[in-house]
Amino acid sequence: MAGRRVVIVGVASHWGVEVARRLERDPSVDELIGIDIERPPADLERTEFIEADIRSPLLSRLLPTTEADTIVHCGILWYPESGRPARVLHDVNVIGTLQLLAACERTPTLERLIVRGSAAIYGCEGATPYFFTERMARTLPLRTRFQRDVSELEAYIENFARRHPELVCCILRCQPEIGPGLDTPLVRYFELPVVPTQLGWDPRLQFLHADDATGALEAAIRTPIRGPVNVAPSGSISLSHILRLVRRPALPIPHPLFSVALERLGRQLGAGPLYGDGIRMLRFGRGVDNARLRNEIGYEPRFDAEATIRDFAGKSSGRRIGPSLHPGDLIGRLAGVTR
Amino acid sequence: MSAQAGPRAESTPPSAESVADFLRRMRLGIEDGLDPMSAANRAADELPRRLADAVQLLARRLTGEYHEDEWGFDEEFAEAVFPLFEFLYEVWWRVDADGVGNVPAHGRALLVSNHAGALFPFDASMILLAIMKQHPLPRWARFLVLDWAFVLPFLSAFMRRVGGVPASRHNAARLLEQDELVMVFPEGVKGTGKPFSERYRLQRFGRGGFVEVALRTGAPIVPVAVVGSEEIYPKLADAKPLAKAVGAPFVPVTPTFPWLGPLGMIPLPSKWRIEFCEPIDLREHGPDAAEDRRLLFDVSEQVRETIQGKLYENLVKRRSAFVPPL
Repeated sequence: MAGRRVVIVGVASHWGVEVARRLERDPSVDELIGIDIERPPADLERTEFIEADIRSPLLSRLLPTTEADTIVHCGILWYPESGRPARVLHDVNVIGTLQLLAACERTPTLERLIVRGSAAIYGCEGATPYFFTERMARTLPLRTRFQRDVSELEAYIENFARRHPELVCCILRCQPEIGPGLDTPLVRYFELPVVPTQLGWDPRLQFLHADDATGALEAAIRTPIRGPVNVAPSGSISLSHILRLVRRPALPIPHPLFSVALERLGRQLGAGPLYGDGIRMLRFGRGVDNARLRNEIGYEPRFDAEATIRDFAGKSSGRRIGPSLHPGDLIGRLAGVTR
Repeated sequence: MSAQAGPRAESTPPSAESVADFLRRMRLGIEDGLDPMSAANRAADELPRRLADAVQLLARRLTGEYHEDEWGFDEEFAEAVFPLFEFLYEVWWRVDADGVGNVPAHGRALLVSNHAGALFPFDASMILLAIMKQHPLPRWARFLVLDWAFVLPFLSAFMRRVGGVPASRHNAARLLEQDELVMVFPEGVKGTGKPFSERYRLQRFGRGGFVEVALRTGAPIVPVAVVGSEEIYPKLADAKPLAKAVGAPFVPVTPTFPWLGPLGMIPLPSKWRIEFCEPIDLREHGPDAAEDRRLLFDVSEQVRETIQGKLYENLVKRRSAFVPPL
């Protein structure tokens, strides 16, 4: 891909910065432009920054002037936070994507559009296929706001792709990421000294290693394919196994009280609340099939579901208060098997 | 997946004596001026070998040093609960299994069986045990479980760890592509929910989805007839309003349930026979034949008739469900 002109929308987001860093090192990328409402926190060397709001119609006038051939959309927000309520998320995710697509219509130089979406589109239910393939979206009811938003914005992108068969539109459906340096509600959840779980439930989960999250995005920018692609590690791991590996004791709570309890505990310890999709995921779990990522994009995740957690457990210093309360550590010390 | 044969290692629970011994040694250690942790450590070193192994296993489990496969199947856990099911197999239901050799020792295969019982698929667990205990090359089988059971806490987590998977053709196909042994019950809830008077009369075999999966993956179908399972919960009536209230497909009224409360959930000790029939190889049709509705119905009917015939045969061989032969 020689002489590419790449625009990263949402460049101030974690993944926007990560991918900009990687592309800066790539000599085949001629020009790199980042768009966001705020400056990216890290020092990017040759990324030209343009301040613009994805929700504003100004984007339609701005984007054609960049003469971009590749647009990477990293601006989809997953987690509501203080000062960024769910309503804002909906605006940025759905209306923002619509504005972006309108701007893409007016950019004749465009060849590729890569969107970093979410595997939340599949939803979480008790009895499901254990590995969703890309064709199985929208087989389950839309239950959370984020799931509805992701589903809606994917529908817009599909529509856009149908109108422009000459373009390659690739939507990445990423499982949630985990990594010691990340600051997401799910990472903070696993760093609690005592982790509330839903009594009687032990979901199968997949977390994406931060390196694989960036790696897969970069690979998709290099060799995009048409349509949605699941981005997830191979295999799956149960919540109980994760908690044992990260050495956090579980605190089982009947599931109707779970989100309240988590919110209370989170506020006390500064972990923040979980969002609706996360709460359903921690009850029913979700696994997706990554064959398309591996075979068609050609990116082989370096960490499988268990290795991701082991790596996280090894590197995360965590917010543990006092000595480990985990029974495994206590008995391990007793039997002299751990350290 | 391991295929270990022969008798399993016996596990004895720690006796009161050895616990007392451990505590005595620990007290001695503390009297020697050690801190409690190192005293406990020293005392554990002197425990009998088997107990020390058990403590080590527990510690290893609690620190997450074990493996689950991508389906959440946990072989160590399955081995740990094996003795419980062994008791049901040997003592409670006195299972006789025939033709276990018809189950392929390697590669994919789809076991298709009649279905009865209640929430927990006891028939699936007994078929699994018959293969583990009597096959020359034992292997773990996976079983597809009614969706509804996977919406329940505790039960869903338990079933997943011992090899249960929610009933979905995607799951069945993926498992078979991984060369696993997969059990399906095409009668589904119509089988488990049928009244006692209709026992051993096979219900409709769904839409033949299991044949489609077998054709697509080239897996042989092994029909299995289970006699005995249909007497463990003799369903005399259906508490429909209650079923509606809790969202269950049915709530059985049996001679013991709900009259005896939780005790009524204990399955009756009928005599069981399991027969594995000759495998049906479908590879000659090729994967594209999965679109052929007529073929699906033909094979589905053939499997259904085979199981029905073997059910009648084994009912005669077994004689009475509850009265042992003189």
